[in-house]
Amino acid sequence: MTQPAAIQCTPANLPAGVERARVLVVDDNRINRHLLLALLERGGIRQVEQAADGNEGMKRLESFKPDLVLLDLMMPHLDGFEMCRRMRADPRWKRLPVLIQSSLNRAEDRARAFAAGATDYVTKPINAVELLARVHIHIQKRCLLHDLEQYHARSQRELALARSMQERLMPSPARLATLRAACGLAVDAHFAPSSELGGDFWGIKRLPDGRTGVYLVDFSGHGVGAALNTFRLHAICQQLAPVCADPVEFLAAVNTRLCALLPSGQFATMLTGCVDPAAGVFHYASAGATAPMVWAPGDAEPLMGDGTGLPLGLLAGTRHEARSLPLPPGGRLFLYSDAAIEIPQGDGVLDEAGLLAMVRRRTGETDGARLLDGLLDELRATGPIDDDLTALLITRER
Amino acid sequence: MDYGIEQRDLEAVVRLRGRLTFNDHARLRGLIGEMVQNRAPRQVLDLSSLEFVDSAGIGMLLIAREEMTNNGKELVLRAATGQVKRVLTVAQIGKIVTIED
Repeated sequence: MTQPAAIQCTPANLPAGVERARVLVVDDNRINRHLLLALLERGGIRQVEQAADGNEGMKRLESFKPDLVLLDLMMPHLDGFEMCRRMRADPRWKRLPVLIQSSLNRAEDRARAFAAGATDYVTKPINAVELLARVHIHIQKRCLLHDLEQYHARSQRELALARSMQERLMPSPARLATLRAACGLAVDAHFAPSSELGGDFWGIKRLPDGRTGVYLVDFSGHGVGAALNTFRLHAICQQLAPVCADPVEFLAAVNTRLCALLPSGQFATMLTGCVDPAAGVFHYASAGATAPMVWAPGDAEPLMGDGTGLPLGLLAGTRHEARSLPLPPGGRLFLYSDAAIEIPQGDGVLDEAGLLAMVRRRTGETDGARLLDGLLDELRATGPIDDDLTALLITRER
Repeated sequence: MDYGIEQRDLEAVVRLRGRLTFNDHARLRGLIGEMVQNRAPRQVLDLSSLEFVDSAGIGMLLIAREEMTNNGKELVLRAATGQVKRVLTVAQIGKIVTIED
């Protein structure tokens, strides 16, 4: 064994994690084990345990939980190849770095060791500098990977929490059931962010005069940034509830708030409207949202409204046009985010006309949930949906 | 998305190709930097070869307009077709940016 004279391992120049690292040495030769122990200690590694064969090594794994195994190949009882295979078959040791140190030095031996799951390989006689360098590299890699996994797990937990908070911004099934009983409006809704969080948001509200206000918002972009905007807008909509009955005033008020809030390049498209059961009309206004669709029982063709309008948050003082669509008893209103008309199809995208054709084939379906599910299945079958998809089907039951 | 720039007397024409989406943010930021450096007072984005734009893409075009205004230049969106034209029309972007056929 060559002497590691060149290595000066002070805590200051040790790679991250080496001081806390635990190394298991598995070798049937006691002298070899002690040489390796001394070498590791000089390399700054204090926590070392040893085993004399594969069986003992497997037992030590359980109690010692090493960060790296230095493994000999030729040993009695259970050899290094088999120990390696057993470690890889156990989820707990599947990714544990295993550095083979063996006097077998033919290419076939190395290949066999790697096939059994070895991470790295050095041949005896051991070159101390090389061995320590490799030990340090594997420990450092394991530490980085561990940090990354911790970070990833934490992000996932936080995103899952944020996602459940975002879902609660939208009306609960209980609230929709109350609305249905009180106003005869059945709502079938679908909300599917393209990543954990989305930039879509919708709401529905019973008004004191017997009408019902509904809105659907789609913030530019998607992901966390867009999702934070949905939380802001939810608060704004709560404050603006008194003007919700007038779609044009509601858009103007939301626009004023968003112009003050949103940085350049961010905006929201929004459609807001009121179902007026007495008049049999859906009054609405749109800030660059998708075209709403309505149909009544027996209609051959759904009627498409107009979504044209400047999105919110871009230009202070914008006024949007008041529009309306017929919505008699039994009539249905379909609102959706632009993901539904941006699905790649052939050379282009499934546009509004394509979506309208899909809806047309389903106007005879009486069950709202089945209608929406069938439509969404067909959209998903058309091509990949890489933006947040929200769809609302509102049915006048009386 | 990728692009090519053609320099004329009073205008620089930037031809955008492919899809302009959420993922092109860094690239478009770079392009806006180039347009600010360019001497021409009119910066034209030729959209005839742009196949698709999403809401984030529209947001970036609006950032480009603001940057040009801040630097005393005019931004023009030219020759949009298909889905890109539909999106610009529905969102009435013509109220904020000069749009030419």
